[in-house]
Amino acid sequence: MNAVEIKGLTKNFKEKQALCGLDMTVPEGAIYGFIGENGSGKSTTEKIICGLIHSSGGSVKIFGKPHTDIDVRSEMGVLIEAPGCYPNYSVWNNMMLQATNLSIKKAETEVVKMLKLVRMEGTASNKYKNCSLGMKQRIGIAMALLGNPKLLVLDEPINGLDADGMRIMREVLVDISKNGTTIIISSHILKELEKIATHYGIVKGGKMIKEMTADELESGCRTYTALKTKETSRAKSLLGCKYSRVEEDEAGYVRVYDDVTAEEIVTYLYENGILISEIGKDKISLEEYYIDIMEGR
Amino acid sequence: MSGIEFKKPTFPERIRGMLGVDFYRLFHTPMFYIFLGIAAVIPAMILGTMGMENPQTGAVAEPLYTNTWNIVAAQSPLYVVNSIADYANMNMVFIFGGIMVSIFIGHDYKSGYVKQIFTTHAKKQDYMISKALVGAFSMACMCITYLLGAVGAGIFAGTSFKVNAGSLIIAILSKMIMSLGWAGLYTFLNVIFRKYFGISIASCFFFGTGILIIGAAAILGNNSILNIFLYGSSVFACLSSSIITLVVCLICSLVWFLIYITAGTKILSKCDVY
Repeated sequence: MNAVEIKGLTKNFKEKQALCGLDMTVPEGAIYGFIGENGSGKSTTEKIICGLIHSSGGSVKIFGKPHTDIDVRSEMGVLIEAPGCYPNYSVWNNMMLQATNLSIKKAETEVVKMLKLVRMEGTASNKYKNCSLGMKQRIGIAMALLGNPKLLVLDEPINGLDADGMRIMREVLVDISKNGTTIIISSHILKELEKIATHYGIVKGGKMIKEMTADELESGCRTYTALKTKETSRAKSLLGCKYSRVEEDEAGYVRVYDDVTAEEIVTYLYENGILISEIGKDKISLEEYYIDIMEGR
Repeated sequence: MSGIEFKKPTFPERIRGMLGVDFYRLFHTPMFYIFLGIAAVIPAMILGTMGMENPQTGAVAEPLYTNTWNIVAAQSPLYVVNSIADYANMNMVFIFGGIMVSIFIGHDYKSGYVKQIFTTHAKKQDYMISKALVGAFSMACMCITYLLGAVGAGIFAGTSFKVNAGSLIIAILSKMIMSLGWAGLYTFLNVIFRKYFGISIASCFFFGTGILIIGAAAILGNNSILNIFLYGSSVFACLSSSIITLVVCLICSLVWFLIYITAGTKILSKCDVY
């Protein structure tokens, strides 16, 4: 059973078409990294899943049921953009209000548990408006987790966080995922996403252009041969004549993306009078992979 | 198949949660207490006009009322307003109720809390009903402080307390019942202008004054047909009220409440939330 199954989703905002037949499959228990550039349709898709906006066409099923069903919505936790909290109320009061809204029994125990999970137990008496961005994001996640939802939808939850905030958020999400909660998380910070996501969906121009698992990403077309030489530009030019994709990275390494062994490259360059000081196989990051896909490579 | 068991929350479960949140907010909103205070002070301000002396002419102003209970309700249903005295009674608290509803709904959208509501099991109708009930409750509370203020002002000013007690009780109860219909109207208006706080308040003030019905009354005269409207029924609850008044107010209030809640729910359902 898939946690989320979207088929042919469309959304028009007056004259602009935000989604043009987007398909998406999120398996149960996955941490689904939802990637795409600004305006590609990530937030729109997430808002439709959560029921904040209507779709213009297509179908959205959550755990096999239409996403508009109340019983399905009871199983969802959401953090879209910033958390919806009353600024003058304390963190505790905001949490308790949401627990009341959800008719949670033993609300206090549940709120304490969630605040502990997001490492916010010591700041419950702080006014929401006085919390830092990172704290607010964690409060948003804690609120989304009230009622033990089976599906968590997070829109850019790590934006604006410092390194420590990102680490805490990462740990929190992994903890949540261990309980079997499915998480859809959109983010621009692909380095962070790469550390936790089990599945990926790349969206462009309102369409899903690629969906894959983390293993597929790992084992797929992500390897290259990197070499260091004193004659970088000549080596690049020579290799460029022989192989289809050769690039120089920021650190001055020449990268050969073709399926070729290091020995072949060493021999070829040696025959052309170029000595290599360093050579090895490496993998491109999610960010680089994403850029490749966006540029149609 | 997934092992997830879905539990469909019932209407009482949903509305209980939402009312819990809204009542908590009401009792933690300073404006609520400010309006309660204003409602209590208004009768004193109305009575305070009596005996005031014009410093230039030395003439003493005519008192607006000589009977305390006229501050609460008119002697007979007066849809046509000839002077401010005809207008100055408990019906004014309904305007403050409108502002309360505006603050409530405006804050929901401004803070983004509305996202927390509509991404859970809440239905749009739950939202409408909850806001309207809390708004009605706040207006009913204002009616009570207005009444207390009127009694205090009457004692202080020494105005007459002579009244038909039955009619007075019915009039007060009827006005409190009318709070429900007014709250429905204000919730509806605020849902329409939910993203424009200023316009929401202005529209509540405009409709809350009953200016449209007063305008209609200028053409129709003191016609009881106007009782089908919220302002008409609110005026109908006067010091000559009978049990019929209570029934008319109850029906009018409930019908308009249902109409506005249904219309507001339709609008919310058709539009994107956030």
